[in-house]
Amino acid sequence: MINRSIPPTVNPIEHIDIIQANKRLLSNGLPVYYLNAGSQDVVKVDIVFEAGTWFQPQNLIASMCNSMLECGSENYTAEEIAEKFDYYGAYIQLEVDQNQGFVNLVSLSKYLPEVLAVVENMIKRSVFPEHELEVLIAKNKQKFLFENEKVRTLCQKKYTQVLFGNDHPYAITNTLEDFDRFTREDLLQFYKSYYSSANCHIIVAGKVDEPVLELINNCFGGTDWNHEVLQSPEYSICPNPVKRHFVEKANGIQSAVRVGKFWVPKSHPDYHALSILLTIFGGYFGSRLMANIREEKGYTYGIGSYLLSLKEASYLIIPTEVGNEFVEPTIKEIEFEMRCLQNELVPEDELETVKSYLLGEFLRDFDGPFALASSFKSINDFGLDYSFYDKYLQVLRQITPAELLQLAKKYLNPEDCYTVVAGSAQ
Amino acid sequence: MIHFERTKLANGLTVIVHQDKTTPMVALDVCYNVGSRDEHPDRTGFAHLFEHLMFGGSKHIPTYDEALQKAGGDNNAYTSNDLTNYYLTLPKNNLETGFWLESDRMLELAFSKSSLEVQRSVVIEEFKQRTLNQPYGDTWALLRQLAYKVHPYQWPTIGREISHIEKATMQQVKDFFYSHYAPDNSVLVVTGDVEFDQVLTLAERWFGPIPNRNVKPRNLPKEPVQTELREQTVYRDVPNDTLYLAYHMCDRLDSSYYATDLISDVLSNGNSSRMYVNLVQKQKLFTELDAYLSGDFEPGLFVVSGKPSDGVSLETARDAINQELDRMKTELVSEYELEKVKNKVEANIVYGEMNYLTKAMNLATNEILGDAAMINSQVDCYRAVTSEQIQHVARQLFRPENCSVLNYIAKK
Repeated sequence: MINRSIPPTVNPIEHIDIIQANKRLLSNGLPVYYLNAGSQDVVKVDIVFEAGTWFQPQNLIASMCNSMLECGSENYTAEEIAEKFDYYGAYIQLEVDQNQGFVNLVSLSKYLPEVLAVVENMIKRSVFPEHELEVLIAKNKQKFLFENEKVRTLCQKKYTQVLFGNDHPYAITNTLEDFDRFTREDLLQFYKSYYSSANCHIIVAGKVDEPVLELINNCFGGTDWNHEVLQSPEYSICPNPVKRHFVEKANGIQSAVRVGKFWVPKSHPDYHALSILLTIFGGYFGSRLMANIREEKGYTYGIGSYLLSLKEASYLIIPTEVGNEFVEPTIKEIEFEMRCLQNELVPEDELETVKSYLLGEFLRDFDGPFALASSFKSINDFGLDYSFYDKYLQVLRQITPAELLQLAKKYLNPEDCYTVVAGSAQ
Repeated sequence: MIHFERTKLANGLTVIVHQDKTTPMVALDVCYNVGSRDEHPDRTGFAHLFEHLMFGGSKHIPTYDEALQKAGGDNNAYTSNDLTNYYLTLPKNNLETGFWLESDRMLELAFSKSSLEVQRSVVIEEFKQRTLNQPYGDTWALLRQLAYKVHPYQWPTIGREISHIEKATMQQVKDFFYSHYAPDNSVLVVTGDVEFDQVLTLAERWFGPIPNRNVKPRNLPKEPVQTELREQTVYRDVPNDTLYLAYHMCDRLDSSYYATDLISDVLSNGNSSRMYVNLVQKQKLFTELDAYLSGDFEPGLFVVSGKPSDGVSLETARDAINQELDRMKTELVSEYELEKVKNKVEANIVYGEMNYLTKAMNLATNEILGDAAMINSQVDCYRAVTSEQIQHVARQLFRPENCSVLNYIAKK
């Protein structure tokens, strides 16, 4: 009979294989980073432009411009573009974040030439048809209204406004009226200013062989799309002096809560150790926040702590949705857990658990072509190299409870935190 | 093509192994053949509440998550109308930890009182977050209730009402466990860089001693054929009107299933699909429009849902959808269009085979459905569908007396 009370021996993770990205310049100097990995005949091509909301002269321009790329080009109508992707079973994902605009493609290797020809034309020769723009605006207006019904949307918007000030591009300030404040010409102007080979890099992952790289050079290596790029605007951060904020949303039975503060950038010497501290605090299912606020008190379906590292700023955010009657108790418990980390050493056993968990996560982060591409992106965007991960592993293996306590004292002060509540529970 | 080996232990547990040497991880999936369709009508939401309790400690292991995290593992679970699926991933040299954890909670739960109380409130908050405090959050509850009068698909997995969850007792929890959680009512799948013999040895060691529990075969009432159009109108605090049309369709093992799925693709999969091009792009009647299958094992629903553009009435919107559905009945889908939707299905299958965990989950759910080998025959099944079959199935589906209409209207 086996003794079920004795767990099987846990084996340490000794060897971690990291496939690193290679770099190559296209004929026009555009950098391509590629990761040849995986067993399936699939390629993912991410074409990235420094064209995020940071660069837009007014709200919505960056995202609308990006979305319009699939709505018609010199050689293809919107319908023909969609027809091609669907016929070849390829997926195109258009997206912007605070700093970048993305054209991300996933395709079967065998159809990449056909599909990439369409992507090339979309990016280089977009025509922004009026009719499609009207459709897109109507669609996005409805989506906006839908999202704005959610307490979590209202809370997140206010939270970014409180942190950065309404004039900063990292603050989300979109309104319904913004959809009527720009013209097709504004989008064209943005397109010409930022969707240029001089403002672009490409990340390729999957079955990447020499023909794939040649194909990419043929499509994007020319000098026919090298327009002058506008200089990056500058902004300063104006945090709100008041720490506690409320957004009214009548008749809801739950409220959204956001607690958080500014954080250190990835290049900071404390970054890795802090990411371990944040895991203990709220970064996994067994974290302090989950154990206390969900698993012991039952106030919420989920709570955690997340770090948002952006190019020009980083911040911590603890988001949750709780029944209106649990809002104040939840905020109190978040503070309580911060103070615990400041006043008491993390037990060795708990730290060991977190170390093992994070090592497992680390393996997952480098498993498969898509994960490899994403892990590369998260250093490349910040001008870091793979030594970032070596350093992380080193810190992860060596960190002690005493170091974590010092870090908590320095970085996890409840007094430094902003709190935003959205709902009907003032 | 996914190669796998399969065997059955003496206690009835099916074990499936798929080797994937490209990953340093392993996935372990335990799928139980129990879902919200197995609930009593007055105790809905129970299967899902139970999924939460499965993390509240088992007979010999007080905290499931902590033990797993110590081995570098991660896990999750979900409940559907048809099944409850638990899955974890681990670095491959810690595979046995997964066997230890999953076998102990199949053997016996801790049935702790405090766990029941806490998970009850967590699930109540989940109920609020997903349905009561979300715009359009009660759509599926309404739609299911309208379309099903007898079959337990009439309530959503989260439950019909919060009070059912509030009233759950420990005795009911125990009864539920012993009548559904058993080796003879579940499937174990392991994928990753593993050998079949190695997995079999571990399965015998950890799951072998769990007794067969003689789980009774399911005997659910059959939903009577719908004979007239059903329509319901609700007024809610939402930004836009939305229209839902739900048609009864075949079960997942029926030979018409693949044609039915392709009909939804022709209508709305991708920006080149018929409804998107004609009704969203060209005529601008809708801002959102989708056709999809409910995904149930037993006879499910084929749903069309759309948000009409500002100023477009629900009547106009419904007429426009009906025109597209009528076209499916009167005209044959062209060879090109059929080829397009089949290509896309095939590409999606390839994308799905990129990940060891996805493969484990697909093997497990297909085995519960009837046979894991179906994941390898599905491409041929889709490829074999003809335009004539599509037309035939569309004629069966899109009849007014087979339809339930939900008008979800924004309170002004």
